[in-house]
Amino acid sequence: MHRLFAYASVVDQREISRAMNDIEGKITTNDEVAPGYYLLKVKLSRPMDPFVPGQFVMIRVPDRDVFLRRPFSIYDYHRPVLSLLYKVVGKGTEILSKTGKNEKVSVLCPLGKGFYLQKRQEYVILSGGIGIAGVHALIRRLGTRSSVFFGCAAKKELALIKEIDTLPVSVSTLDGSYGFHGTVVDLLSEHLTTLREKDIEIFACGPAAMLKALRRILEKDKTPCQVLLEERMACGLGLCFGCVTKTVDEAEPYKRVCKEGPVFDLWEVCL
Amino acid sequence: MGSLSIKLFGKTLRNPVMNASGTLGYGREIEPLWGVETLGAYVTKGLSLNPHHGNPTPRVWEEQRGLINSIGLQNVGVDRFFDQYFPLFQEKKTPIIVNFFGFTEEEYIACAEKIRPHRLIIALEMNLSCPNVKQGGISFGKDPDLVHDIVMAVKRVTKIPVIAKLTPEVKNLKEIAQGAYEAGVDGFTLLNTIPAMVVDVEKRTIPIRGGLSGPALKPVALKAVYEISTSFPVPVIGAGGIMDHTDALSFLLAGAKALQVGTATFIDPYTIPKIVKGLEEYLKRCRCPSIGAIVGAARG
Repeated sequence: MHRLFAYASVVDQREISRAMNDIEGKITTNDEVAPGYYLLKVKLSRPMDPFVPGQFVMIRVPDRDVFLRRPFSIYDYHRPVLSLLYKVVGKGTEILSKTGKNEKVSVLCPLGKGFYLQKRQEYVILSGGIGIAGVHALIRRLGTRSSVFFGCAAKKELALIKEIDTLPVSVSTLDGSYGFHGTVVDLLSEHLTTLREKDIEIFACGPAAMLKALRRILEKDKTPCQVLLEERMACGLGLCFGCVTKTVDEAEPYKRVCKEGPVFDLWEVCL
Repeated sequence: MGSLSIKLFGKTLRNPVMNASGTLGYGREIEPLWGVETLGAYVTKGLSLNPHHGNPTPRVWEEQRGLINSIGLQNVGVDRFFDQYFPLFQEKKTPIIVNFFGFTEEEYIACAEKIRPHRLIIALEMNLSCPNVKQGGISFGKDPDLVHDIVMAVKRVTKIPVIAKLTPEVKNLKEIAQGAYEAGVDGFTLLNTIPAMVVDVEKRTIPIRGGLSGPALKPVALKAVYEISTSFPVPVIGAGGIMDHTDALSFLLAGAKALQVGTATFIDPYTIPKIVKGLEEYLKRCRCPSIGAIVGAARG
């Protein structure tokens, strides 16, 4: 089976996860790019090992009131600068959003199992809201070989796809302020018949409701699809079994999002 | 330089630092960062006779200076642990403590019977915080008579030393320990997590009920270690919010012979090797011949 990533063809997932490191870094940018969304850039003190799009990092926020690390998808990486796009959703991200330039953070990376690419005629990448953070690196890597669909609440969130605006992206907004008026899954379903004429695989990241709706429209044909899931995590290393998702495996239904995931086959998880 | 090695249940451990059960996966997960042979002993994830699926999410929740977990004892079962995960510890010659649990006395007994003596198995650690389904769900660890009977039943079927890991959710910890001691228990691990919960004010719900671990627990656990180690002539393993080697030392000085580190590993996965190094440096600085010499030294 042909695989797209040169290193993925010689290094299996176990070895990739062996390459993880805890690296000190310094914040160079932490800007609000859309209301409630921030782009964080961290200059790492030494290079991160090769990563697969879909993998994540655990960041220790430099604050006394937060003690567990927080997980973030790898948005982009240009040695030695690691970029993460995040949305403020709780105390950890709120404190992170107020963390200034030059602050030191420690970054455990790269973690988990990323997207697995096998040769297809076309790739379809679907994301909703902050879900773009999980597929951005994949979009960059696949370039024009993929069709990209992005959904958000309103036009003001379009800044989230600013860095890929050279690529054709089909956009939906819930309030109709830009592009297709509706959900990104509704938008995809309008193109699905045409897309299915080819041998395709879908990669998706977004809120649970989006993934559930996606599953419904793909159910009949069981189109190949990988989904990137998020869950509350404590360790990010598979030590605590805190971040599980339920799967169809009857013998051992709960799989760790940080270890066996965060990318899963859509048809193996119970959404 | 002084030696970190300790004798526990007749076996020599390279140092007194262990992981707390369930905080280092099945051991192999930490291997990309450091080897399990760094540990004095590896404490297994809680094992049961049959595999256990565990709870739905959320399973973890951060609180101020603490972590609430509700993993629900997910594990592959005692048989698969020995088939699949024990070989790593054999390869690395790393001693293990097998933590196990049951929901009936029969399950505890059947699980203990399955674990045959092995030179690397230094003890069985009984998780006594489980609800006893035959007694209306009250946990075994809350009643001295139940503790006595279950420890005695397990002692009867195994030649391996037995440790009772006690829950702090009791009126009188000494009474509970007395029950275990009279049944012939070989040691104690103090403490298990404290039952806790969270209220979501916006949604007006209770998102998680589980066990509280982490720094918030440390003073409570220290007091328990002090009290039980002065009252019973068996080794006490201290656990509860140990974040660094200073915390580790406070447990040793209070009377713990060995230590378990849990939550701290989630924050800094290198905590255990750092504590081992910190203890080595402490011995050197104090010109202390061995770590055993400081056990209980703060009690006067």
